[in-house]
Amino acid sequence: MLSWSSTEQGAPADLAVVADGATGSGVELGDELVRFASACAGSDDAELGEARRALVAAADEEFMVDAAAVAANFEMMTRLADGTGAAMPPERIGSSAATVEAFGIAGLTSRR
Amino acid sequence: MIVRDDLADAHREAWAHLARPGSWWTAAQRIELANTALGAIRDVEPLPPWASVSAVEGRLPGDHVAPAAAHDVVYRIARHAATMTEDVYRRVSEQLGALPYVELVSVVTTVAAVAHFCRNVGVDVPPFPEPEAGEPSGDVPDEVVQPGYNWVPVRAPADQLAAVVQAYTAVPGEFLNLWRMSDAQYMPSHEMIDPGWTRRDGGLSRPQTELVAARVAQLRDCFY
Repeated sequence: MLSWSSTEQGAPADLAVVADGATGSGVELGDELVRFASACAGSDDAELGEARRALVAAADEEFMVDAAAVAANFEMMTRLADGTGAAMPPERIGSSAATVEAFGIAGLTSRR
Repeated sequence: MIVRDDLADAHREAWAHLARPGSWWTAAQRIELANTALGAIRDVEPLPPWASVSAVEGRLPGDHVAPAAAHDVVYRIARHAATMTEDVYRRVSEQLGALPYVELVSVVTTVAAVAHFCRNVGVDVPPFPEPEAGEPSGDVPDEVVQPGYNWVPVRAPADQLAAVVQAYTAVPGEFLNLWRMSDAQYMPSHEMIDPGWTRRDGGLSRPQTELVAARVAQLRDCFY
């Protein structure tokens, strides 16, 4: 969805950068968002606080709250997918080959 | 901090939903299992995926009302979802029932969303409400079938929707709760085909939304 939406919007995201948690994804405010999303999924509360403040400074509090909600949604959906054994149709996996490679996820237990 | 009304309402309703009898579990069981899920998410020294939380002294209430096997799988999905295998699912669902299992997953996903949102924005997780009285409804759709793209049974017809969309369809109350939360946290489902969708002027763009989604899913080792 990141590849599709960013391409449709005329500025394809660098998936490898996002996968590495690095800077320079090509998405507006991408550096702050990657840092915030990484901290949301991590366990370092101090880093999460810093990442939250950096995102508010770069955008605003409402923007940060929306990003926090999206991160929370994927805490929900990842557990749903893995708890219910959700699998993608083969044709969709085929069309996602570049994403699978960029994110290095081909060998995950959760691949079905 | 201001949280928009639809999001705050969805989370309040999610907490209230946990405290009502479900299709397969009483409210007391649901709240007890929600506490196990929250404990797993917060655990600073988490048990390994193969360990049973019920086997560790002091981790469950001594007089717990939900089966130990339910607590064990709730802990595992809450903390180590990406390690779930079909063998584990088959074993647990044979013991608890396939549709009760679906409801357990929904308890975990509800808790995970609210608990992580609170941590993400830097506020305390609200306490769970007192469980309501009453028995599980036993609601089942007219036709439940085994799909090709999920382990769990779903409402017929199968595999007409994405696997994550159809996953809870055999437990209607959980399906409604899930999509009420997702609409508020992510985007309304009917907007998903629009790469230019945004919630408001100056809000997260669709690529910004998907960047956050992709990064969290990657760090949770979720292939889907």
